[in-house]
Amino acid sequence: MTSYSKEVIADLVAGTLPWPQTRRVMSAYKDDDRFFKYVAVLQDRVGWKDPILLPVSDHLFICQSGDERVTRCECGHSFGDYRKNWKLNAAIIVRNTEESLREIYPNSDIPDPQWMEIREFICPECGTMHEVEAAAPGYPIVHDFQPDLEGFYREWLGKPL
Amino acid sequence: MLDKPASALRIRERLIESERLMEETGCYDGITELQLRNQDPLKFETLHTKLRAYCVSAREMARRISASPGVREVGEMVVAIYTPEGDAIALSNGIMVHVHTMSRFIKWMIRNGYEENPCIRDGDIFANNDAFIGTVQVPDVMDVVPIFHSGKLVGWAGAVCHELEAGGITPGGDVALAQERFTEGLFVCAEKVGENDEIRRDYVIRCERNLRMPIYWVLDEKAKVASCIDMRESVKALIDEIGLDYWMQVSKEFIEEGRRAQLARTRQLTVPGIYRGHTFYGHVTKGKPGYQPLGDPDWLYNMPIEMEITTDGKIIMDFEGTQPWGYHSMNCTPAGMDGGMFVTLTQHMNFEGLVNDGAWMATELKLPHGTWTNPDNEMVATATSWALLLPAYGVFQRLLSRSFIGRGFVEEAFVGQVNSPMIEMGGTSQYGKLFGMAHFECAAAGSGALAIKDGLDTAYVGWNPESDMGNIEIWEQNMPMLYIGRSIVPNSGGAGKYRGGCSFVSTWLVSKTDHLRLVTSEHSSRVFDNGGMCGGYPAPTCQKHRAVRNSNIFELAEKRAPLAHHTGTNPHRSELELRLQGEHVTMEGPYITAPHKTGDVFTHSYNGGGGYGDVLERDPLKTAADVENGYLTKEAAEGIFGIMLDEDEDGYPVANLEATKRHRAEMRAKRLAKAKPVSEWIASERGRVEKADFAPEVKKMYASAIKLSSRFTREFSDFWNVDARSIFMPGAKP
Repeated sequence: MTSYSKEVIADLVAGTLPWPQTRRVMSAYKDDDRFFKYVAVLQDRVGWKDPILLPVSDHLFICQSGDERVTRCECGHSFGDYRKNWKLNAAIIVRNTEESLREIYPNSDIPDPQWMEIREFICPECGTMHEVEAAAPGYPIVHDFQPDLEGFYREWLGKPL
Repeated sequence: MLDKPASALRIRERLIESERLMEETGCYDGITELQLRNQDPLKFETLHTKLRAYCVSAREMARRISASPGVREVGEMVVAIYTPEGDAIALSNGIMVHVHTMSRFIKWMIRNGYEENPCIRDGDIFANNDAFIGTVQVPDVMDVVPIFHSGKLVGWAGAVCHELEAGGITPGGDVALAQERFTEGLFVCAEKVGENDEIRRDYVIRCERNLRMPIYWVLDEKAKVASCIDMRESVKALIDEIGLDYWMQVSKEFIEEGRRAQLARTRQLTVPGIYRGHTFYGHVTKGKPGYQPLGDPDWLYNMPIEMEITTDGKIIMDFEGTQPWGYHSMNCTPAGMDGGMFVTLTQHMNFEGLVNDGAWMATELKLPHGTWTNPDNEMVATATSWALLLPAYGVFQRLLSRSFIGRGFVEEAFVGQVNSPMIEMGGTSQYGKLFGMAHFECAAAGSGALAIKDGLDTAYVGWNPESDMGNIEIWEQNMPMLYIGRSIVPNSGGAGKYRGGCSFVSTWLVSKTDHLRLVTSEHSSRVFDNGGMCGGYPAPTCQKHRAVRNSNIFELAEKRAPLAHHTGTNPHRSELELRLQGEHVTMEGPYITAPHKTGDVFTHSYNGGGGYGDVLERDPLKTAADVENGYLTKEAAEGIFGIMLDEDEDGYPVANLEATKRHRAEMRAKRLAKAKPVSEWIASERGRVEKADFAPEVKKMYASAIKLSSRFTREFSDFWNVDARSIFMPGAKP
């Protein structure tokens, strides 16, 4: 069975594993013990103690916080109950003018702000940009991911939550 | 007259029986146990690999028969071996889109009584390019031949090529101007086009008289038939070796094994739950020549996708809330939607090569009737269905990638594909002959970023996993245009911690013709048709076309003055405008215009991919290298990524890490100062929503989605706390 050390997984996640080795990881049969090593690597990275239950973005994690399960930023900021859309508790910058779109797209043809806007969802504490939506004006904010956390742990990982 | 299948049932009855068994047992053809695999796993796996080898070898042989640079250079072909009921057992590499579309074609013939008329006999050749029977678009022409052994139907061999010319209202294969089926070109609707291993002469004559460049289509037919015969003979020889009963059983076990492997792979790589995403496509044709006033000339489509991964490992994709079909060439049939699903899924989860229709059986598509994904009118055009398929399945890639990130397989997370707009052309060639062609250098767009590295520059499209742009010299042999430039477009990848791959722009001089029709397809206008992930931005995907008619390029060349080789980085004044005199044209949306002639200059930009992660985390050293190599401009490095660059003594960019740190801290502080709570933004936007204060095309999009989907209506209403129907459909009956 394929397996890698926690150090290799840490380098892979950080994007610092040398390419030839990364290529071999991509081509090989997958390591079935990846998930808990991955979570351990991320747990070392964050500055808080709440156990990570599931990473949901580059710097966003569902974690066990006392009796609650919340979506937490790497900086520690909580976006509340993991079953609710964390974006509703984020800060937002909307680019809906030619000038503001031009800041990101300096030399290409850009969308018509009457047809499309860019929404940047930001942690109100550390300023990390967690997600960007490109949407028509008026389009409801999308709830990206509602994991079946119980089913995942119970049926796929074979461990209680 | 009738040939009976090995089960001693008629094949139509056998198909119905197979579907019943699947429904009853949940296993393909009722195979609840992989008996032959359990008996001798080595023999089982060896045979499966052999079948795969037959397919790969047959495809390679066929590519050398083809005259089309699309097939020879770019590899726009796939071949496969099927069960008598039309389920794929093994397939080659190539455009895997068509594995299940061909399956639909075979099943369609079986269901429609082809056993009785026109009969299914040894040596017959059947062809199809009708998307409502089973393909994606009119240029995807498929041929299948039955495989008989000991007088019984024991399978099918099939092959698809993407044709470069389909004889439609506009030249090329992706017939951009088609607004109904009747202008898409030459249709072959599940037709017997050959007998006794020979293509019928009358069919070839029909092709020759209805296509602008029949040599591509006709030689591709020969290539496909040759590959089918090659596979057929290989399978027959294999049956001689292993016995007919063993073949009939093992071929089905391969499929059931494929189904189980897909479910297991999903359980291994992903996280169960509900994933959501969306993208958009804008189409602008107002005032353009040739468009019939059948629908709105300008429109905006939304493509919301909800993906469920169940705890048994099934992937279900639901397109509810999307737009109705329209009088344009971008509609898609369920077969096309299958094609998009299959080619994406196989790249992400079935890369070991032994995939077959079993993987498809472990997925489900929910395609709302009446939408562009499942039109309730079979007269609609589907010639450029990739225009909507690619953005939609780009969303699928991001949804799957979210699941890989959750599970820890970050190396598989991939922001995905973008549209790769294609040029179609026709008229008089540089040899003075009638010609027509699609240019396939679009098979090398920029890819989306990965979660651990930048995307691929000029090297990826979703629809062809081999993503080869072909050789410039070969393209020049086939069209009356000469390359005067092909350049990376700086900043064309979506920004992010890992940027999307960059695209390129080609610049051509029209040469040795007085009649060259140029048409483009599959690119969005006014919107992004892709996205970023985890804080990355979408790639810019609404490039306009720039051309110069009656240019002074020959005079400049004579004087050895500088020419324009690309469009440059000033969006308000291109290099063409700077260097060339003549009639300058900038066109939004599809390029449809009067013919060009010698001396005109034309440019066409492809798309980069979306970015991954927060821009302020991008590696400054990598960025310096990007600026040095033309993937990013220095201004973008500083303004978007916050990376300050100095120059070394030779003038090369060097990252100033200290200044970068300070600049990024300022940018982060500005970001926080500028951002407002989402709740405040919702409260302020709500008034705009209540007044429907949107562009007409945006309002129309909402009204159409609301009309077709109660779920979209409910979700929209709940989110804004409004009554969506009364806002966008005032006066409509409840």
